[in-house]
Amino acid sequence: MAERSITVRISRFNPAVDRSSYFQTYGVPLSPRMTVMDILNYIYEYLDPTIAYNAHTACHRRICARCNLNINGKAGLACQTEAKGDLTLAPLPHIKVVRDLVVEGI
Amino acid sequence: MSESHQTDVLVIGSGGAGLRTAIESYDKGASTTVVSNGRIGRCGATMMAGADITLDGKSASEIGLSGNEEDSKEKFFSDILIQGYYLNNQKLVDAYVRDAPARTKELIDWGMRYVWDGKRAVITQGTEINRVLVDQVRRRKIRILEDIYVTDLLTVGKTVVGAMGIDVNRGTLLVLRAKAVIIATGGWQNAYSFTSAPEGLYGDMHAAAFLTGADLVNVEMVTFCPNVILWPPAFRGDIFPYILVEMFGDLLDKHGRPFLNEYDPRIQKIAMTTEWNKLIFSLASARVISRGDGSPNGGVYYSVKTVPWNIVEEAQKAFPGWKYLRRNYTDLMNSLMRGNAIEVAPAAHYMEGGILVDEHAATTVDGLFAAGECSGGLFGANRVASAITQILVQGAIAGASAAEYAEKHCLQEPEEEQIREMEMRLTQPFERKTGIRPVEIKKKIRKTAAEHLWVIRSGRGLKQAIKDLQYMTRNDLPQVSVRTQSRTYNREWIDAIQLRSLLIILEASTRTALMRTETRGVHYRSDYPKTDNDHWLKEIIVGKVNGRMTMRTRPVIVTKIKPPRGRFGFEECILESQNAPLDILR
Repeated sequence: MAERSITVRISRFNPAVDRSSYFQTYGVPLSPRMTVMDILNYIYEYLDPTIAYNAHTACHRRICARCNLNINGKAGLACQTEAKGDLTLAPLPHIKVVRDLVVEGI
Repeated sequence: MSESHQTDVLVIGSGGAGLRTAIESYDKGASTTVVSNGRIGRCGATMMAGADITLDGKSASEIGLSGNEEDSKEKFFSDILIQGYYLNNQKLVDAYVRDAPARTKELIDWGMRYVWDGKRAVITQGTEINRVLVDQVRRRKIRILEDIYVTDLLTVGKTVVGAMGIDVNRGTLLVLRAKAVIIATGGWQNAYSFTSAPEGLYGDMHAAAFLTGADLVNVEMVTFCPNVILWPPAFRGDIFPYILVEMFGDLLDKHGRPFLNEYDPRIQKIAMTTEWNKLIFSLASARVISRGDGSPNGGVYYSVKTVPWNIVEEAQKAFPGWKYLRRNYTDLMNSLMRGNAIEVAPAAHYMEGGILVDEHAATTVDGLFAAGECSGGLFGANRVASAITQILVQGAIAGASAAEYAEKHCLQEPEEEQIREMEMRLTQPFERKTGIRPVEIKKKIRKTAAEHLWVIRSGRGLKQAIKDLQYMTRNDLPQVSVRTQSRTYNREWIDAIQLRSLLIILEASTRTALMRTETRGVHYRSDYPKTDNDHWLKEIIVGKVNGRMTMRTRPVIVTKIKPPRGRFGFEECILESQNAPLDILR
């Protein structure tokens, strides 16, 4: 199904060991209509299980809003945003980061 | 070393059942803590609901709703039984019918907005129910612990004295001590990769309860919601077409042929006009898919091509701007109107079975109560009435029972050794440098559930599933290894914990499905297609005897209506049921 590969940059930060956040880059095969959540799940399953993103009670239906991320510079829900090309994913700004893309209070 | 909290009543789960339970427990004088695996009101199945609250029409009119003067509690009771194929525990149905009006009125008094009310139903949204209940919880001094993944129940002797959990964001272990514990955690829909439920429903507390000695009941009964969107991914698991098909449109196989017309015209009519549609459409779709006539992603097609435009547009009266809940379906509707079909399939939706409770929400273990979907018995073999009413009624009952129990009992010191064993088990996946990744085992488990525990079951498939699940329990589970060393928001760790729960609840579900050598309600056996009232008006109870999973049966609990005898075919059973005064619908 994969048509092409996209580059996904993910902001990594573990407050216990990192002084500041940094970007890690992954190559992901893009299938038609994949969402940003699907991309994160792909990376988690096949490339790097250590990435942290809020998924443990995700509704996937625009209801819980816990997958709210900074996607290519704009806030958006990972489960509702279709991936159309290269991605830069960061946590929402100005909120304390738990780890990587997970922030407190969301 | 684990951090410790204490409370009179500990409520595990923060959907509607947990919230309503906490309110009642607090109002009855118990210090109350709600522990949520996510954020309260923003996790669990309630937020996804459409949602209808059902009650008898007479009572509905008495509390100021449209209702129906001709209706009665007795008729409502009888309908729930017919819909449940008489497997219902009638004591639980009594409580449901008795308390539904008070619980409904209370929500309206608390400010619940609703969109519509009919003869036997009030239609609102799950998010609105959560909003009202969260508001009520916040008005009280109820302690809320969020993003805590509860993994185990603590016991002293055979009494539950608290729970053990992981603080997801901090990666620490917690000991939650309580005089009474209420489980309100919904079903185990996430055992299936295709579900209408949110993430986080893994039957963890069914498994934990079972391990403390609590019985489970009717766990072979799983409702699948038909016509749920398979593709595109942003809409996967969405039930909107299930709602649309009540109004118009056709289900088609891969040749573009409608397949519902393979059924008796009366069955087609029931499928199109009543909420028995879940049962009928799911079976019809599953038959098409299993004979190889399904869509590329493993479903069937929904199309409105035969419906004139203006008729489709009429539906915007119900869904202005093609919006429903928080979603906009304009693109999807445009695609349908251009003549395309969308791929839909039956999705794991509701579990009729669960933790065995009595009419006071007490489980078979002291100090442990259960409310809502995680409990079993109320709806027998098929739920048509409302799961929202269930959470409200059973929530209030469980809260009162637990508060009363807490008043009579002291806080007990948990056993150090038990806590140490749990800590060891929970942290073991970090110790193993090599082993199997949790996600690999989860995929295998879900494959087994999808293949053998789906809409159509057979003895052969179920036997294979039991073998597979037992193999995974023996060989894969002890080898689970987590690569992510940071314990802070560690998804692998949560995945690893869920595996034991899934294997326990699915083994129980599979073994009872194999034992029930008949078809009843949502449990369809291709090798036993008849409903056998002469031999199977019995609940199957799963318990732990001498450390082993053991099954026994008990005759259905009857208070008002004696079930009919005889053996009936699938269609015959549904047609027969229509002769009795029905239906829950509007």
